Amino acid sequence: MKIAVLLSAGRHPVSGAAVLPRLEAQAIRIAVRLGEAFGVLDGGSAPFGLHAGPDAATVADALGQGLARIEHLVLPEGVDPVPALAEHLAATAPDVILAGRRGQGGGESGIVPYALAAALDRPLIADVVSVAPGDEAGTLRLDQSLGRGALRRVVVRGPVVATVHPDAPASLAYAFGRARRGTIVSLEPTAEPVAGPAIPVEERPYRRRPKIVKGAPAGGSAAERLKAATGESGAAASGRLLVDPAPEEAAREILAYLRRVGVVAPDSTRPNS
Amino acid sequence: MTRLRRDPRAERAAIQVATIHVAAGARPRYDRTAKGAAKGAALAADGRSRRDPRAERAGQRVPGANRPRFDLSQVVAGPAVRGEMPVVGESRQPAAPKIVVVEDPAFLVAVVPDAAGGRLSGHDRQVLGAARMLAGREGGVVVVSAGPCEGCGPAGADRHVALAEPGADPAARAAVVAAALEALNPRHVLFPESLDGGDLARRVAVRMGAALFDNAEVVAATGLVRPARGRRVEQRAAPGLLATVAADAVPDYGGAPREARAVTVETVPAPASNLLSAERIPADPATVPLALAEFVAAAGNGIHDLDLFRQVVAALHATPGASRVLCDAGLMPRHSQVGASGTVLAATCYVALGISGAPQHLQGIAGCEHVVAVNTDLHAAMIERAGLAIVQDAQAVMAALLGLLEQEAARHAAGDPASGDRTGAAS
Repeated sequence: MKIAVLLSAGRHPVSGAAVLPRLEAQAIRIAVRLGEAFGVLDGGSAPFGLHAGPDAATVADALGQGLARIEHLVLPEGVDPVPALAEHLAATAPDVILAGRRGQGGGESGIVPYALAAALDRPLIADVVSVAPGDEAGTLRLDQSLGRGALRRVVVRGPVVATVHPDAPASLAYAFGRARRGTIVSLEPTAEPVAGPAIPVEERPYRRRPKIVKGAPAGGSAAERLKAATGESGAAASGRLLVDPAPEEAAREILAYLRRVGVVAPDSTRPNS
Repeated sequence: MTRLRRDPRAERAAIQVATIHVAAGARPRYDRTAKGAAKGAALAADGRSRRDPRAERAGQRVPGANRPRFDLSQVVAGPAVRGEMPVVGESRQPAAPKIVVVEDPAFLVAVVPDAAGGRLSGHDRQVLGAARMLAGREGGVVVVSAGPCEGCGPAGADRHVALAEPGADPAARAAVVAAALEALNPRHVLFPESLDGGDLARRVAVRMGAALFDNAEVVAATGLVRPARGRRVEQRAAPGLLATVAADAVPDYGGAPREARAVTVETVPAPASNLLSAERIPADPATVPLALAEFVAAAGNGIHDLDLFRQVVAALHATPGASRVLCDAGLMPRHSQVGASGTVLAATCYVALGISGAPQHLQGIAGCEHVVAVNTDLHAAMIERAGLAIVQDAQAVMAALLGLLEQEAARHAAGDPASGDRTGAAS
């Protein structure tokens, strides 16, 4: 069982300092746990990181987060990393390739895992929170996040590419000694750089734009937008008020309201519901 | 222009009441109401009339609003002479919704909504609004949904392609959608940048070999804008084939409903799935983090029997929350605190039991669409905020609610014949 984690040259959202993206740190934890489950934590088959870019110093943090080795494909700035990564991964053939949702430092479109999965002809499982060996030999059990704490448990056979969801367990603590012991191996890619599909863009400094206030009428006043933002305009504006009802009646009203909203399952035993 | 010279004596003589004979020593009487008319006539000959700003303002007032609203674009007809009734502007009647039909669109803008459960989400509606903006007057918006999808017409769709439900595997879904898009040959395709929509967009982009402009925060025919490099720069490009639209960036379509004519395209069978099995595990409401929970029931200082509260929460399948008072007192764990200093909820529904609603607490539930409040104080802020407000002792209501739920559960356990009766009656 070989496990690879794709690493990108992240930037801290506030300070702009080079930092390992949070999702990739979480991916490392998943990789380490999976390596423990398969008993491949040491030696050449231990989980390793893979970075394609001009400089590997930006991903050196990943060594302290739990990886023993990082393979660095030296690519000039602004080159599509997919052909080089695909060639290297086809040669090393890891069984599981983990990535964040959106690598930083490059185009940041989040399409690299998908393009790699297509190039390597493997299934891609998106938004994974845990990876574990399946019941049958050679299968993997992956839990995909569907948002709001719901999961989809998927069983697949053979090598897969997976992207990690922010709901995955938090990353391991940074260990200085492990970071010192870890090694970074620089490799020269042999793949010809192929220009992938790209869109010519014009860059400007980022400007924050106001978010749409949901529920406020178009062209409404500031008071209406405030009401919509604080939630006083929707159901609350036309609210029902019951003063001193009998507790049983109040309970029936609450239950009927919750059923109408759809958060409580309808009562299947009622003859006329 | 010269103005007529006023003759105050003549004006005064003109309004003197003639019917009363002016006896010696008797007081002269004047009809002051006639003065205005005479003056008005005199001034009308001059081409100037006197404005009555109060009457004009009253004429501009829009009827039927709690707050006084004025329609300043409305010009009050005619000179409002004092004593005349102000001209009340016609209230704008909502015209009967007329369905807009684009018979032969010059080009198509496709939208692939998430449409979970066959209904458009709020984000899907925003994407449709963006597509409508790109389509303009000549273009047509076509919704390509995997499975049925309702409410596309009012959201701005001219055409609707409902593909067969391809199953749980997103790769199969992407193959079916990509084939349909190639058959439709749209100029632009927009996806929501959501969990499922973003995944589908990237799969489709790889499959079609086209570039994807993701997470667009501005959508206009002149260009799309997306943040890049940790929101340090923004990238602008002309609208290409594939783009995803960020949430809450573009308003919904606000115009007249569209027809959403059903269109069929040649579909390909979904390819074989690589997944050996896929099983949905619903979130456990008892353990899901409060910030992610869908349905939260919270206790406040009006509750003293917390065991009963926990039973009610378990019976409702809700996630337990609490106000700051209970958490400070150590009666509920700190991670269950709702409010500005605790957790800001993203729940759909919130039940406040014995919570009066401090401003900091209301901040925590600002995103909740439906709120139920039970409190003894009629004037509590939570009662004002709630969609269903009950002024009653929360303790008694909780006991009644638990009794009702247990009754139903018992009926459900013993009463399968009852549901059998129902199906019998229905058939």
